Parts: sequence; structure tokens; C-alpha cells
Amino acid sequence: MKDPDKIQYDRYLKGERLPHFRTLSGIEMKEFYDRGDSPQDPPDPGVFPFTRGVYRDMYRGRLWTRRQQSGFGTPEESNRLIHFLLSKGMTGLNIDYDIPTKLGLDPDHPLAEGDVGLVGTSMATLEDTETLFKGIPLDKVSTTLIVNPPYSAIHMAMYLLTANRQGVDVSSLIGTMMNCAITQLVGPTYQSGTHFFPVDPAIKIACDLMEYCLQHIPRWNIININSRNIRETGVSAVQEVAFVFSLALEYVRSMLARGIEIDRFAPRIAFFASVHIDFLEEIAKLRAMRRIWARLMKETFGAKNPKSCMCRIAVQTSSLPLTAQQPLNNIVRAAIQTLATVFGGSQSVHTTSYDEGYALPTDEAQVLAIRTQQIIAYETGVCRTADPLGGSYVIEKLTDELEERLLSLMEIIEKKGGFLECFKSQWIENEINGARYEYARQLEAGEQIQIGVNMERDEDEEVKINIFRQASDMQEKRIRSIQEYKKSRNGDKVRRALENLTRQVKENQKKNILPVLIETVEQKVTSGEMSDALREAYDFKVHYV
Amino acid sequence: MEKKKRILIGKIGLDGHDNGMRIVAKWLADAGFEVIYLGLYNTPEGMVKAVLQENADFIGCSFLGGEHLFYCRKLLDLLRKNGLEDKKLIIGGVIPPDDVKVLRDIGVSAIFTPGTMRDAIIYKVKELFKA
Repeated sequence: MKDPDKIQYDRYLKGERLPHFRTLSGIEMKEFYDRGDSPQDPPDPGVFPFTRGVYRDMYRGRLWTRRQQSGFGTPEESNRLIHFLLSKGMTGLNIDYDIPTKLGLDPDHPLAEGDVGLVGTSMATLEDTETLFKGIPLDKVSTTLIVNPPYSAIHMAMYLLTANRQGVDVSSLIGTMMNCAITQLVGPTYQSGTHFFPVDPAIKIACDLMEYCLQHIPRWNIININSRNIRETGVSAVQEVAFVFSLALEYVRSMLARGIEIDRFAPRIAFFASVHIDFLEEIAKLRAMRRIWARLMKETFGAKNPKSCMCRIAVQTSSLPLTAQQPLNNIVRAAIQTLATVFGGSQSVHTTSYDEGYALPTDEAQVLAIRTQQIIAYETGVCRTADPLGGSYVIEKLTDELEERLLSLMEIIEKKGGFLECFKSQWIENEINGARYEYARQLEAGEQIQIGVNMERDEDEEVKINIFRQASDMQEKRIRSIQEYKKSRNGDKVRRALENLTRQVKENQKKNILPVLIETVEQKVTSGEMSDALREAYDFKVHYV
Repeated sequence: MEKKKRILIGKIGLDGHDNGMRIVAKWLADAGFEVIYLGLYNTPEGMVKAVLQENADFIGCSFLGGEHLFYCRKLLDLLRKNGLEDKKLIIGGVIPPDDVKVLRDIGVSAIFTPGTMRDAIIYKVKELFKA
């Protein structure tokens, strides 16, 4: 109980008010907005530049996909988890691979042992992929695979062979390979984007995969360009989107340089964004994203197909506003963030679980996240009409202001030579660190309020929360099973396949890597071994003490 | 003038979430500590080597994905084997409440979970060197 002397009786008399009226990205808001702020009505939903949504009927036509990111431990455990989540109302898969897999290291690599299976599924072999998707009809459930290049190409090869073995025609697969370089691990921080594989070959292999999927899997999203992880470093909404579009331009130009026409590949590009707690700004952000992307595709790249201009956005609600203190508050925050996502017109949503500040979500927390989305979809009525906030003076004005700020930051990045150049020169790194320090300063100064942290904090709080726990022998068992797998193979075949992979990549750096990767996977080669072969082909070594 | 205390700050293992570590490193540097920033992807062996090379007074590590027990045990063992048990280990990051107790029991000097304010961290770290 609060010390009675500390109850602030004067709050009422003084008039309780906010510390300031700026958005998280620093836009100073006006006392009120009126027609003068938004003199023109935006075009209808489903009409270029799609500010009000990519489809005319939006959620009347179909609800967003409830796509909770999931995966931990071994492929067997994750297979059970995804069956459970599908049985509880999840409508799409979103498989997270563990960190060693995303860095191209097998579970038995000396650097990997402490991280195997902790925050994603440990995946190393074709058999692992078959186990993970056992009993899942890959032509009926759309699946997002969270793997970054070059490893995305390796795991796509495994996924294609798994589909084959399931008897599913590869051309009927539906889903998305994340396939976004640099950003996947923890956003575009320099060390995480360069320590395990060189940047340019990673981009090249990402494009190989995109090109291959265009030829063989017509309904596959060839890349999910990741701004969510950019935002989670602590940057503003403006930086999040300006960085991700600048990166997207690099992919678009690389694909065009291969002689692939814009309307051939742009319709298969998707984005993955964050939605923070700043309700109005985040709604406006998603609207501004669609408008900018549509104009870029049409005006800069000459796209003629309206689908090329549709910025389809998956969202995972941001973890940054969630707190370890008073964790139940996070349920409220995530619901509000999810509502902003829906008002913003997203195509698929992961509602971040309230126990995020402690561990991976428990089953209970995951189901609650799904229920949050269902309550918004089915009970609140906000899905009965497309873009219900469209035409709101403040939403339209914020959309305009964000667009303006985004475009000017994108121009700065272009002038500095584009995103990759800015990443390599560590300009991006400095911007990220600057934003982090500033956000931390705002929290310390009480300029950005976090209930339970810098307001209404309970110093004696004893948090009672169920925590997800992995089996204590999971890592050990998993490492052993990969070691045994390696012993059980025909070593000569494996060695020849790896030598062939290195040689082919080295000898013809322009050739698409997917066919040789598929051949290599068939010889029971692991993902870490293939990654090493690629590193060798590009004269790259992983350094560690 | 008193010599500045030297702290090694880095992440062990493969998790790359360095947001908290970056901010705390800056706070400690601003508060007058000598920060040697090792960044990501360190091994326990590498940390111990760096402690010797840099003659550091204490070590700060950050964890997020549940790898904290595994690596803290390894690091503390190695410190003992190298006669470095006087080097204090402080931890920050996503740590479940039960594990906070375990970490204390195995010899971690301070554990800062998400939402800890700057002054609380600096106060605690300065306290560690008063005794």
C-alpha cells in the first residue's frame, strides 16, 4: 500500500497533464486539427497510392492473418507447438529459427552451445525441416520462415525438398522467406551484420533466392523487408521506415540490374514493421509507408502493375514499450498496439506476449495474444469498414508530416551513397546509438512515461508470473543428435558435395546458387557445413577467441 | 587522484541484443568508470583473456535469451581457475526472478533487470567498490 503521506492529493487541484505533446518521433502536436490541416480527402482504399489500405474492402474481404512467431528447442518440440497454436486459432505459421541457425552455425559449433534452441528452433538438416513441418499441409497453411541470407537460401532448399517429400507441388507453396540481409539478428547493427558473413555476397544470395522463387513458386513472397528489427534497436518511427525503404531500394536496384522487370518482382515483396505504443503516430506511419512505396514503385521505377505498388505489411507489435515491472500492464499495451496495427491496415499480425520481459512466452501467454487479436477482430467492430480513421484531420496530417520527414531522411541516405554504404561506414550504427541514448534519456527524465518504470513504480514489487522453461537437457540432446547425424552419413559423399559447392560458387559468382544448394542438401549436408563452404568460397573466416 | 575503475563490457554467446549494454556502458563511462567495450560474440575464455590484458576491475555482461546461467557458470569457473575471483561480475538483461537468486548464489555480484534506472545502477556499482 502507498504511504498515505505520499498520495498526491494535489493532482486534481493542479490539473493532471502530460509532460509534453510530442510524438515518439518528435513531432510537436497541435492543440487540435481541422480541415485546414487536411484540405484534401485521400483517395479510396485499394486505389493508388493506397494510403487507406491496399484493398478496397480491407478486413471485410478477409481478416489479417494471425501469425504468432513461434519456435524453440528441437524441431520435434516446435512441431508440437505449431500444431497447438493452430488448434488455438492461429491462421498462419511464423517459424523462428534459433540464433546459431540464423548465423550459419551448427548446434555442435563451439560458439553455439549456449544458444542452441533458446529463442527459436534449432534447424540444421533436411530431416529437421521434415520433422518441423510434419503433419502441416504446406500448400494450405501460409508459412513465414524467419531466416536471413545467405542461410535463407540454404533453408529454402530444405523447405522445397520437404515439400517434395510431402508430395506437395512446389509451385503451390504459399508463404514468405524473410530473406532480409543485415537487419534480421537485431536490426542493422554493424557487428551483427558483418561478423559471420560478408554483406555483399549475402545480398547477392538474397537476390538469387528471390529470382529462383519468382521462377518456381508464383505465390511465394520472395522477401520480407524487415523494419521491425530496425525499430527495436530504439530508433524513431521516421528512422525505422527511412532505413528500411533505403535498404529496400538496394534490393530493387539489384534485381533490376539482373534484368528482371519491376512488375515481375515488386508484387512479391512484402514488409515487416513494428508498431510502438504511440497510437496515432504508428497508424499514420503505416499509411505513410504505403503512400511512399506506391509512388516510388510507379514514379521512380515505372511500375505499371498496381500490385507492384502495394506495400503489404506484416506487423509484430513492438517489445520496447513492454516492461518487466507490473507485467500484466503489458496485456493492455499489446492490445492497444494491436488496435493501432489494425487501424493502420496491416496484413498479418503478431501480438507480442506480456511475459516478453522475462522469457519466451508460455503457452498461456501465446493464446492470450491470439485472443487479443480475435477480440479486436470479432467484438470491437473496427473491421466492419476499411480504414475507419481515414479522413480524420490528425491522422491525415500526421501521415503527411511523417511522409515528409521520411522522404527527407531517405534523401540524406541516398546522398551518402545509399543504405549499404551508410551501413558499411557505420553511419547507421551511429544513428542507432544516438537514438538509443536519447530514448534512454527521455525515460530517465520522465519525458517518455512508462507506467511501472518511471511512474507508479512499486519498489517492493514481487513479480508473480509463470515463466516458460525449456527442458534442462534440451541443448545437450540436440547437440548430441547432430553429432550422431554427422557420424551416420557417407563422409565421402558429404565432402565431395561441399567441395563442389565451394568450387561452383567460387568459379561462377554470377550463377544462381539455389540449384547447387538443393543438390548439396540432398547429400545430407548440414546448414552449418554449407555456410562454411560458402564462407570459404568468399574467402571469409569467422573470428573468435 | 583516485584511479578510475576499469570495467569490461561485452556479450557472451551468439545473442546480439546490445541495446541495454550500449546504454549502460555509456552511463558508466559518464559516471567516471573506464569502460572497455568488447561488443558481441565473446566467449568466456575471451573475456578472461581480456580481463588479464586490460587489467580490468570488473566485468559487465548482458543476456536476453536464457543463456545467462550457462555462461555465468562458465565465466565464474574460469575466473576462479585463473586466480581472478576478485574480479566482480555484474549482469544485466532479461533474467527470470528465480534465476536472479541462482545467479547471486553462484557469485554474481549484481543483477540488473529491465527497467532499472540509471542512478540505481551507478549507485550499486559504486557500492561494490566501497567494501
